[in-house]
Amino acid sequence: MKILIAEDDLISSRILQKNIENWGYETVLARSGEGAWQALQDEDLRLAILDWMMPGMDGIEVCRKIRRRKKYKYTYIILLSAKDRKQDIIAGLSSGADDYMTKPVNFLELRARLQTGKRIIDLEDKLLVIQNQLKDIASRDSLTKIWNRSEISKFLNEELERGQREKKPTGVVLLDVDHFKKINDFYGHSIGDQALLQVVSRLKRKIRKSDKIGRYGGDEIIIILPNCGLTEIKRIGDRLRLAVGKRGLKTELDSVQVTVSAGCATSELPGTASTDKLIRVADGALLKAKGQGRNCVVVAGQDRQMAREQINV
Amino acid sequence: MSDSANLDKLRPIDFCDVLDRIGGDTSFLKELLNIYFQEYAEKKRLLEQAITREDFTQVCELGHSLKGASANLSLVRLQKVAFALETAGRERQLQLAQEAARSLDTEVQTLKAFLEGNPPGKFV
Repeated sequence: MKILIAEDDLISSRILQKNIENWGYETVLARSGEGAWQALQDEDLRLAILDWMMPGMDGIEVCRKIRRRKKYKYTYIILLSAKDRKQDIIAGLSSGADDYMTKPVNFLELRARLQTGKRIIDLEDKLLVIQNQLKDIASRDSLTKIWNRSEISKFLNEELERGQREKKPTGVVLLDVDHFKKINDFYGHSIGDQALLQVVSRLKRKIRKSDKIGRYGGDEIIIILPNCGLTEIKRIGDRLRLAVGKRGLKTELDSVQVTVSAGCATSELPGTASTDKLIRVADGALLKAKGQGRNCVVVAGQDRQMAREQINV
Repeated sequence: MSDSANLDKLRPIDFCDVLDRIGGDTSFLKELLNIYFQEYAEKKRLLEQAITREDFTQVCELGHSLKGASANLSLVRLQKVAFALETAGRERQLQLAQEAARSLDTEVQTLKAFLEGNPPGKFV
């Protein structure tokens, strides 16, 4: 772990450095408040020893600036000072320091206090990992592990906004497994789940890194395609459909033949600027594909009348 | 008893105290003392300028800085004189600042003489 030593007095700084390095930490040195603040732009620098009295910006001001910033991980601060009156200690801690030590420093005490700081930083890191894991769990479908409906809607919203800024179309493909209920009823839900997992796996292999795939409903899969217009989306829809239906899906019981229907829409169509409307238009195309006998792709833009009808629903 | 009489009773450096602080490393203490003397030379120059300009803020800061450096090396006498300089600066006492500056110089010479006869490794 790296520790910042911000101390204008060379001797004090050198003694701190030697001791702290002997304890197995890396050190970064600064001799002014400005130098300390600059060094603390490094996100890996999570532990700081700041001298109160420094030329220019003092340790108190550095503390305040650190506590005002939002996006950084926690920085544990030990404030050093020759000031040992109660009101000084209170002022130091009130500025945002976690700990306060008076000079000259007792190094056994400093070592123990650094261990406390390290413990808190480690604890925060563990919490952040768990927080990210929980966030990921909350964002994904529990069976297929692809994005869930609310997360994919957020992506689509962001993508539409970006597309508008960059004047690029956004495509949506909504896929539905044909007769999925019959698969569940005939083979059981376990086999149905296995089939759905394989459908997702085949679809994932056919999309770009920048595309996003999510589970929109029971057997409905949605794919968001950045920078994809009406001229490309039919070809992509067909590629996805063929990827699923070209051969049977292996399950623990049997090989199950599965096909999908796909409804496609892009933000080039009038009235599709919002997430809801674009999905509604794609859903209309999907219904039409099912009406045409399934295992086919319908692109909303190829039938403007249908798009208008869906928007006006 | 006067302050100077109290000062005379103290050794220029408390070896036990400083070596305890830096893990008994006498060669490191030598390195730190060299830094101290180099820093002092620069601070002495700045102090003379500050006293001439009657820049008491600067006098106070230099006194504070020398007090800290002296305390770190357990230079007990120098620490006391540096504190007197800091106080003179804070209270804007020109004569006291001049006296403290002279005492600092005397104490640094005393320390150097003491270290010649008693280098850091001698008692270890």
